[in-house]
Amino acid sequence: MKILLIEDNQELTQNIIQYLSHEGIICEVAGNLFDAQDKILSFEYDCVLLDLMLPDGNGLSFLEILKKLKVRPNVLIISAKNSLDDKINGLDLGADDYLPKPFHLSELLARLKAIYRRSKLSGSDEVNFNEIAIQLQNLQAKVHGKPLDLTKKEFDLLVFLITNKNRVLGKNAIAQHLWGDYTDNLPSFDFIYQHIKNLRKKIAEAGGNDYLTTVYGIGYKFGEPQS
Amino acid sequence: MKLLNLLTSVYLIIIMLALLIGGFFIYRKLGAEIDFELGMELDRQIEAYAERIRQGIPPEALVNERLEINELPFQLEEENLSIRDTIAYHDPLSREEKQLKASRSFKIENKHYRISYYNLVVEAEDITETVVYTMLVVFFIQLVFLGLFFRGISNWILRPFQHTLQEIQQFNFQTNKPLRFQESKVSEFNHLNEFLERMTQKLLKDYRQIKEFSENISHEIQTPAAVVSGKLENLMNLEMTEEQAHLIYSAYQNNERIHQIVRSLSLLAKLENEEFEPPSEIDLSKILIKNIELLSELITLSELKLQTEIKPQVLVKMHPFIAEIMINNLLGNAIKHNYKGGWIKIHLDSQQMIIKNSGSSLQNNPSELIERFKKESDKPESVGLGLAIVNQICKTYQFSFGYATDVSIHTTTIDFK
Repeated sequence: MKILLIEDNQELTQNIIQYLSHEGIICEVAGNLFDAQDKILSFEYDCVLLDLMLPDGNGLSFLEILKKLKVRPNVLIISAKNSLDDKINGLDLGADDYLPKPFHLSELLARLKAIYRRSKLSGSDEVNFNEIAIQLQNLQAKVHGKPLDLTKKEFDLLVFLITNKNRVLGKNAIAQHLWGDYTDNLPSFDFIYQHIKNLRKKIAEAGGNDYLTTVYGIGYKFGEPQS
Repeated sequence: MKLLNLLTSVYLIIIMLALLIGGFFIYRKLGAEIDFELGMELDRQIEAYAERIRQGIPPEALVNERLEINELPFQLEEENLSIRDTIAYHDPLSREEKQLKASRSFKIENKHYRISYYNLVVEAEDITETVVYTMLVVFFIQLVFLGLFFRGISNWILRPFQHTLQEIQQFNFQTNKPLRFQESKVSEFNHLNEFLERMTQKLLKDYRQIKEFSENISHEIQTPAAVVSGKLENLMNLEMTEEQAHLIYSAYQNNERIHQIVRSLSLLAKLENEEFEPPSEIDLSKILIKNIELLSELITLSELKLQTEIKPQVLVKMHPFIAEIMINNLLGNAIKHNYKGGWIKIHLDSQQMIIKNSGSSLQNNPSELIERFKKESDKPESVGLGLAIVNQICKTYQFSFGYATDVSIHTTTIDFK
């Protein structure tokens, strides 16, 4: 996957590039709208990560330029201007999703992959990890071809974990992914623990390997157990 | 009390006082004047009788019931005119009456006569009656004029003021227009209007600045906080010792709290600035049911018994996004401040929404928990803004919000009015 990141904050840019490069995502950067226009006209991208407050204008105007392209890349707006109007306007102008800053990099990756799957791999909407196969369209997860009986949140959690495989996922990142922004008044960490426990049990019962590890109480990691 | 009515009543009281005082003086003056004129008249009569005596008519022939002629010793000085009140028998009325008696003495042809002449006095009651009658007529004429002209004219004079009042009432921040007034002929009104124009301009400017500030602050704090988050997330994925992991986790947690606080505060600011106009009526029942479903797994995991009584199609004027935050906060609280095996009861009808839940008894006063950053639990993942947000939402939409505890039962009530 090749993406164009339009973002003027260099530190944030570095974070994103570092996180996404582990997933083999090629990330090119434009620090302003002018550079972004230049790049989008010369190269093809699968997805554009668009910040709205840019030094030379509002990112929403960039959506108009994208409309005129023959092959339109997907757009994920990332903005600190967490205003409802921007979200509605952005989605109206053809953006695929809106992620308010500050976000977890794992959440960014999950959203990016979801957009990518929806548009590029619409037929075979499946996520695989060794013996685990997930069909996103009909919310089905199978281990060795045997369907797992997962609740909605457990299913979401599994997809989130596999999308961010081999990465340490903070509890907050998981909580926000599952319950949204206003997790402030939920005892979410206990629930994550419960969900993880149940998920482990269900995968094990279906004969799957235990890919989940706890990382020093920070969070969880899904991936090949390190020997 | 309306300004015009106040002015009218004050004016009426002043007129009444003036008429009373005036009446008193008029009464006195009138009495004195009548007495004086009457005295002059009596004097002329006495003079006329004296003249007739001089002409040789014997005094005895002149005497009648009003006239008294006495002879005085000649050596006495001639008396000047003296007038005094006296009670005397009055023939035509056949009773004693208060009369005015004027007497004077004359020396005519070596004889000294005192001639006294009586006349009926205009009685005090009569004068009072006249004065009161006159004053009442004047008062009623004033009243009619007041009703017809004064009120009309005052209304006309006060019209710019009334207009200003109306404009102020209609002033709001959403339309973002400072007040503009027409020039009035009265300089005080112009001063007032000028002041109000300046003040509303200032208000709107401050309001815009606060709005911008709340937007900017969320941007300015969130960007560096987002950078920190990202760095920590990347750091987590590098090789680390357990000690480092704990340090990273602690930094990460606290950074998350900054996110939470900024997000909640900017939401509160937006609510206070009334940035969410209710677009239309929304079906709160649907939103409530949807949110209960979203949290149903948590309720099951916490082993809570849920009892709902939700009337369908409860329509409330509210922004759907805000409604979700409100419900989410309340349900979240009900789940969080509960114990294993506890219960939650949710009731919704067109009048109110009641959420009751079991829980531990409070150490703080329930009304304090509504305030910002006040919290009962010391759980680090809570910043203590949940109820403050719900309270602000209710203020914004003019719902009344109540939170009460009865030992171990917590009840939140929202009345939609």
